[in-house]
Amino acid sequence: MRRILPLLFCVPLLCAASGAARAESVSVPVLVPLTGFLSLEGTSQRNGALLALKNPPAGITADAPVIDTGTSPEAAVTALERAAGGPVTAVVASMLGTQMLAMLPLAAEYKLPLVTVSGTASITEQSNPWVFRFFPGDAVTKEAHARYVVEELGKKRPALIYQTTAYGQSGKAHLETAFKRLGAELVFEEGVDPAAKDLLPVLTKALAAKPDVLVLHLHSAPTALFVRQAAASGIPVPIVAGSAMHQPSTAALLEPAELKGVCAETAASPISGGSPEVEAFTAAYRAAFNAEPDAFALGQYDGTRMVLDAVKAGARSAEDVRKALSTGTHQGLAMTYTSDGKGNMAHSAVIVCYDGASRVPAIVKRYDNITGVVK
Amino acid sequence: MRRVLKPTPTLTLPRWAGEGIGFAVLGAYALLYASPYGLRVLTVAGVYALAAIGFQIVFGLGGALSLAHGAFFGVGAYATGILGSQLGWTFAATFPLSILVPFLLALLVGLPVLRLESHYFALATLGIAQVVLLLAVNCPGLTGGANGLPGVPGIVLFGWAVPRGLPLAAVVWGFVALGGALAWSLARGRWGRALTLVRDDPLAAGALGLDVGRLRLGAFALSAVYAGAAGALSVHTQRVVSPEVLEFPVMVSILAIAVVGGRGRVAGAVLGAVLLVHLPEWFRFLERSYLIVYGVALLATIVLLPEGLTGLLDRLFPPRRRALPAAVAPSAAASVEGAVLRVEGLRKAFGGVRAVDGVALTLEAGSITGLIGPNGSGKTTVINLISGLERPDAGRVVVAGQDLAGKRPDRIARAGIARTFQAVSLPEGATVLEAVAAARLERDRSVAEAEAHALWALERLGAADLAQRPCADLPAALRRRVELARALARQPAVLLLDEPAAGLTDAEKADLAGHLRAIAAAGTALLVVEHDMGFLLPLAGHVLCLDQGRTLYDGPPAGVRGDAAVVAAYLGEDAP
Repeated sequence: MRRILPLLFCVPLLCAASGAARAESVSVPVLVPLTGFLSLEGTSQRNGALLALKNPPAGITADAPVIDTGTSPEAAVTALERAAGGPVTAVVASMLGTQMLAMLPLAAEYKLPLVTVSGTASITEQSNPWVFRFFPGDAVTKEAHARYVVEELGKKRPALIYQTTAYGQSGKAHLETAFKRLGAELVFEEGVDPAAKDLLPVLTKALAAKPDVLVLHLHSAPTALFVRQAAASGIPVPIVAGSAMHQPSTAALLEPAELKGVCAETAASPISGGSPEVEAFTAAYRAAFNAEPDAFALGQYDGTRMVLDAVKAGARSAEDVRKALSTGTHQGLAMTYTSDGKGNMAHSAVIVCYDGASRVPAIVKRYDNITGVVK
Repeated sequence: MRRVLKPTPTLTLPRWAGEGIGFAVLGAYALLYASPYGLRVLTVAGVYALAAIGFQIVFGLGGALSLAHGAFFGVGAYATGILGSQLGWTFAATFPLSILVPFLLALLVGLPVLRLESHYFALATLGIAQVVLLLAVNCPGLTGGANGLPGVPGIVLFGWAVPRGLPLAAVVWGFVALGGALAWSLARGRWGRALTLVRDDPLAAGALGLDVGRLRLGAFALSAVYAGAAGALSVHTQRVVSPEVLEFPVMVSILAIAVVGGRGRVAGAVLGAVLLVHLPEWFRFLERSYLIVYGVALLATIVLLPEGLTGLLDRLFPPRRRALPAAVAPSAAASVEGAVLRVEGLRKAFGGVRAVDGVALTLEAGSITGLIGPNGSGKTTVINLISGLERPDAGRVVVAGQDLAGKRPDRIARAGIARTFQAVSLPEGATVLEAVAAARLERDRSVAEAEAHALWALERLGAADLAQRPCADLPAALRRRVELARALARQPAVLLLDEPAAGLTDAEKADLAGHLRAIAAAGTALLVVEHDMGFLLPLAGHVLCLDQGRTLYDGPPAGVRGDAAVVAAYLGEDAP
């Protein structure tokens, strides 16, 4: 079965080719950061979208021009303006929050649905009906993060180390609220610049506060650096990291032994398996891109599939797609997606942990239907 | 006798022609061909052009590598973002404030950092940019933190909400045209010329009566005005402000635009912005590899066109050579008789070395005084102390009854003291006429008037035929002549000459001596530092000899060779 399932990702392509004469044609530009500090995540996002668009449902052909948005809002708006020059069904939009915030007014003006995996909370707080987030926001993931720390590990004195970026500040705010509500006292919190080359000072300061768990909310490279320095120091408390830790590209920066006992929250962990469909996705992804998929790839795949399914179901315009995304439910590979009325489609998160023997984590806890106050 | 050089028979254009044609081409493209995407890119190019025009003022004209320019851009952007999205203020209120805030910030930080030398200044301004960025990220209550502030309203002009596309591009480029015209006018005027001299030789600028600190601060603050305006327009074009506007890539882009376009030129800022904003878009189809191609293209441009795109255009289409003005003598300085400079008890030590120790001298109007002594005896230091390049530890420098000891060089120059330097320093990119006219910028009402007076000074020294030659092409003797003309153009009461005959042939020395006598005969007091006794002693009416900072001899030139102390310390027994 596992060998057959990846073929399912190719069958629609064959069907589409044979029925090209009556195929419904859609254009879904992919505007993601392929260069700059978010290039790894942006590449995952692109790959997830392309995997869906190159294997559309039968009767649909998809055009998917890819435009690099870099990391500046200005470049993202320019990319959207460029993409909007032709007939567009929906747009796969950057996972970078500041770029999304800049693209939103233009998307509303052009009436283009933006399908993203950005975790920045405020993008769905702009009363803009054209944004759809297929990745749990911080209101979901940080709730799961804090609950796992307090309820499953029984820790009450967490130390929080976060990034001084939009991602970091948003996560920090949600973690503070969640820990307070769960009765855990943050004994230490400090922001770290993404360019910091040595995290031992902040680790030392955190341990001086005598925490019973280290909670990280850092980008990929700083997460790997912190975990490596913590392993080298032989710290006596567990680490529960943010979603960057689950990325195979982050784990690849560490030895399996350094990962022992480290856990992380994430929307999904496709390499951890869990269902034949997810395993088929992972195999197809590896075959197509010679890389390991992460939650961003899977989330973007699911979001793009929902767009294509909407077209398959009869959506013929961007407005039709928007309505379908706003009101429909999609059984994706990572979770079930449905809008909360603001464009937040994902409401589940998982906790993964590494056993110290491999870089593939196991899913140890799943949190579904989390609702939270988005900050 | 003035000779006007005949222009070479090449295709020449008026100086404004290139800019005019460029704007016409851009306008035609925007009106006839550009898609909404093309207009968007053009609008962004306009924003960067405006920022780069400001950078040309502080970096191109003023020569100060201000890495705070990106920060001023960001401050203007945040002013618009905060006032527009949080307080709901309209463009009419936010735009002036987005200019005012970076202007005031530049004045505040400019006072301390502009005293620093080049690379320290660059580092200090980089520090300012980092502080502003950290504030933006870490004050989320005001700035929205790392997420920034969405919901910035668009531009509203006289009740008209300017829509995206052509109207927005037209408004942005309207500001570019306005800002460009102002900068162009300033660059060609007295202020721009003075700033250029400050860039090329700040010591000479001060000695020519120009207030170097004030000029630099003015340039720094004015550049911040442009940056703030560009930042404000940038926020209106993307409707959100976030810390990216304060990050280093913005600064690097502006710097690259200025260098690629052509340093110091308004047209360079516009050309550079249009090219560098479009270049990544042209290569975008290469996906991730476009950065490599973009980098190679940028590097090739810088290596192959060191003077930028405007330099290339100047080579292809040389600007029309301007006709020389008619030489006009400046109004005669008030005639002074008797002592015009009195120096008393002048002292200066560098660490434990007493460079000048109790020197006193008096210069009478129309006199020529020689200042001699072995190397390191303190001659140049005396000139530096009198002209304000060094601050004396003690002593008085009295000019027209005023003690000017320790005052700034420009203040002393304005009091009537001019000087030349041991190592002649003329601005390499200027013509002789422009270099000499720099001496009149502080006094005359216009560049044209300054050039007319400069030509008079050149004519007095028989150097009018050099007027249109670039200073960089001149041999050493002519460079000394031009420098003397520059000092003479100040109509000084006192002229301090530091080894004016060094490197000259005998014929040139004789010629120079004749000119110096004529200058003295017109009432100017000359203090001449010189080692060539054959040149100096027949010329001077009085001679001072220094040794180890102290006056060894003070008397008529005839007594110099017979003075045992002078012979022992300086001339030597075998002196002719």
